[in-house]
Amino acid sequence: MIMLKFIKAFLFASFCVIFSFSSNAVTVASWGGAYTESQIKAYADTYSDPSAIKFENYNGGLGEVRTQVESGNVAWDLVDVLPDQAITGCDEGLFEDISGEYDNFIAADNGDGLIADMEANGVTNLSDCCGPQIFWTYVVFFDPTAFPEDAQPSRIADFFDVANYPGKRGVHTWANGFIQMAMVADGVAPDAVYTVLKNQSGAVDRAFAKMDTIKDSIVHWSAGAKPLELVKSGEVSMSIAYNGRVGAAVLSEGENFEYIWEGQLLEQEYLCLMTGAPNRDQAMDFLIHATSPASQAEQAKYITYGPMRASGIDIIKAGEPWFHTGIDVMPHMPNTPERLKISVMGDPEWWSDNGAEIDERYAAWMGN
Amino acid sequence: MEGTISNGTQILTTDGIPLKVSLRKTERKNKIRAFLLVFPLLLFIVVTFVVPIADMLFRSVDDSHINTVFPNTFEEYAKWDREDLPPEAVYKSLFLELATGEGIQVGKALTRMNYSKSGWKSLIKKTRRQVKKIYKSGEEPSSYKQTMIEINKGWADPTFWIAMAQMLNETTLIYYWNAIDRTYDIDQKVIMQNEERRMYVKTWWRTFKVSIYVTFFCLVLGFPVAHLLANLPLRYSNLLMIFVLLPFWTSLLVRTTAWIVMLQQKGVINGVLVWLGILGDDQRIQMVYNMTGTIIAMTQILLPFMILPLYSVMKVIPKSHMRAAQNLGAKPATAFFKVYLPQTVPGMSAGGLLVFVLAIGYFITPELVGGKDGQLIGHWIAYHLKTTLNWGLCSALGSILLAVMLVLYWLYNKIVGIDNIKLG
Repeated sequence: MIMLKFIKAFLFASFCVIFSFSSNAVTVASWGGAYTESQIKAYADTYSDPSAIKFENYNGGLGEVRTQVESGNVAWDLVDVLPDQAITGCDEGLFEDISGEYDNFIAADNGDGLIADMEANGVTNLSDCCGPQIFWTYVVFFDPTAFPEDAQPSRIADFFDVANYPGKRGVHTWANGFIQMAMVADGVAPDAVYTVLKNQSGAVDRAFAKMDTIKDSIVHWSAGAKPLELVKSGEVSMSIAYNGRVGAAVLSEGENFEYIWEGQLLEQEYLCLMTGAPNRDQAMDFLIHATSPASQAEQAKYITYGPMRASGIDIIKAGEPWFHTGIDVMPHMPNTPERLKISVMGDPEWWSDNGAEIDERYAAWMGN
Repeated sequence: MEGTISNGTQILTTDGIPLKVSLRKTERKNKIRAFLLVFPLLLFIVVTFVVPIADMLFRSVDDSHINTVFPNTFEEYAKWDREDLPPEAVYKSLFLELATGEGIQVGKALTRMNYSKSGWKSLIKKTRRQVKKIYKSGEEPSSYKQTMIEINKGWADPTFWIAMAQMLNETTLIYYWNAIDRTYDIDQKVIMQNEERRMYVKTWWRTFKVSIYVTFFCLVLGFPVAHLLANLPLRYSNLLMIFVLLPFWTSLLVRTTAWIVMLQQKGVINGVLVWLGILGDDQRIQMVYNMTGTIIAMTQILLPFMILPLYSVMKVIPKSHMRAAQNLGAKPATAFFKVYLPQTVPGMSAGGLLVFVLAIGYFITPELVGGKDGQLIGHWIAYHLKTTLNWGLCSALGSILLAVMLVLYWLYNKIVGIDNIKLG
């Protein structure tokens, strides 16, 4: 009898625990690793109620999001997604349209609202369902000791010049980033890359022709940590990588790497509100907090991705040394005004239109 | 039934019920009990196995959503003689359906349309804003065709209209054709995909090639090991067994990464070869981030799946058979091939089938060490599942994989017989 009572009490208690877990915390699905670490520190820990925010890891892509929404069993409130997926998810109704609430987002010190603040950073195609996060980039980096002091690579064309800058090149196994760099190296102005892609038939062929010139020297990687290892071990002399990984290696692990900023591809990252999010209102409140200029700048203390709001960069610049270990972080920020001039700004809309076709072509190209 | 038999011959139980009835009753009870016992398992299999596979098969041929979003357009389109550009009626119905369609449904349709031709998505999205504006103003355009072409010149591009033919039917085979580098032309005749995009057939062959290589190498490497395991004295064979099982229990990722360290150009194997002077410093062999790497790493990872079934078969082959054969005058080689080898066939085939089936759908290892030409079909299933959301193509690829396995199983049953399988 006592046993039965005990079991009942236990069941009730566990039910309460499950219930409280499922109802109170805003669940944010993100990529995990150092990136999510930085989000927790910059967004959740600075939030009015840190315990109300729970981060969960997922593998990216919209597969799980679509499954949750279609089955009506939505477990996440906010999802951290790539820009083309922000657009597709918004189109498909997987994310909720919050564009009506953009006015409620925290304005910059100069009075710019969310939209104007992003435009100042070159982003004009904010998705209707999401709040901005960070810029991450595909950037070329190298170990300066691998080249003679008077012949250090400095331009993206050098990446495609194996004769003068010997060694293998690390490139990822999908097309985005590499194809834009090939065009810049081939003489297209960085800010014209997408205009050319959209309007000139044969622009893609041209990029592939440029890529052909170093095809035999490429080592293809697929996991974000690999390029650092490839360059460090001397397997390749230069590699494309995610800029945040390079920044972390330099700032936190004391590696000696240099960037070639020219031709880097700036990609956006968004936090999107799930359709049917279980804690919608609080999630929205948290989203507004996470996209404030202060939170965005705060994140750069822990990882070297750039705030998508232009005012975030100003805060960082004024607060140097900004990195949490007391080192200057501006040398690693991808979206300073000078670097923006020589960078390609990603066009997720074009990529969500054409990405699949180009990825297939790229795979055919790689395997040939 | 009882009526035809006279009461006198019928056997009754003590409580007066005919024995047959009584027996049937107890049997039924037992049957129900047995069914209830397996019911949870049955339910589990239905929910986790039958339903998802049925769903996959269904999705691979289903194209009904798009037809519910633009029904009139598709109807008008079907009437079109496929010359030049479609007639006014097609433009008109698309115009109206874009203006009145529900946002999310149209959005979903756009994702689908973009699979048939890149560019659909932004073409419609850009047009839709204007179309809605015109529709709201209440003015009826004199020519819908002209208006739409004015909004975006893409509407004068016949390639979009050609691509639309792919979506006409509610049940479609287009995803299966896409999965082998083919597509439909405007009359829904099957044609080849653009040359530079053709990679699925190649990837399929590569998948089979790698799987066959891996199975072959596993057999060649696993056979002697299994033989040793089965014939060594217990204390040695136990130690050897641990060597087989330890890597088996180690994380897949750890083993894969270890292979990268071993195989890369500045890695252990190349380093040793250069140090020994066999290779020059600039002749280091590329053994990873390509197909070679995939084959080597997968062979090592799948090896236990070959060794264990082989071992369990070899263990029970009496040693006296070989001795008897040699006693009767057979040379060791003849005895081995005529007496021993045939008896290991169940183990070889079980191991082979297991390794091949696992290899054909392998994902993580090829993803990490595959590089330029070592990625298998699993990569593209994941890609379409997560990145493009093209679940139709994704399901078609999966269904083909399933069909290949079923064919293999059927062949196996024909040649070896499934009763001969021995998994341990």
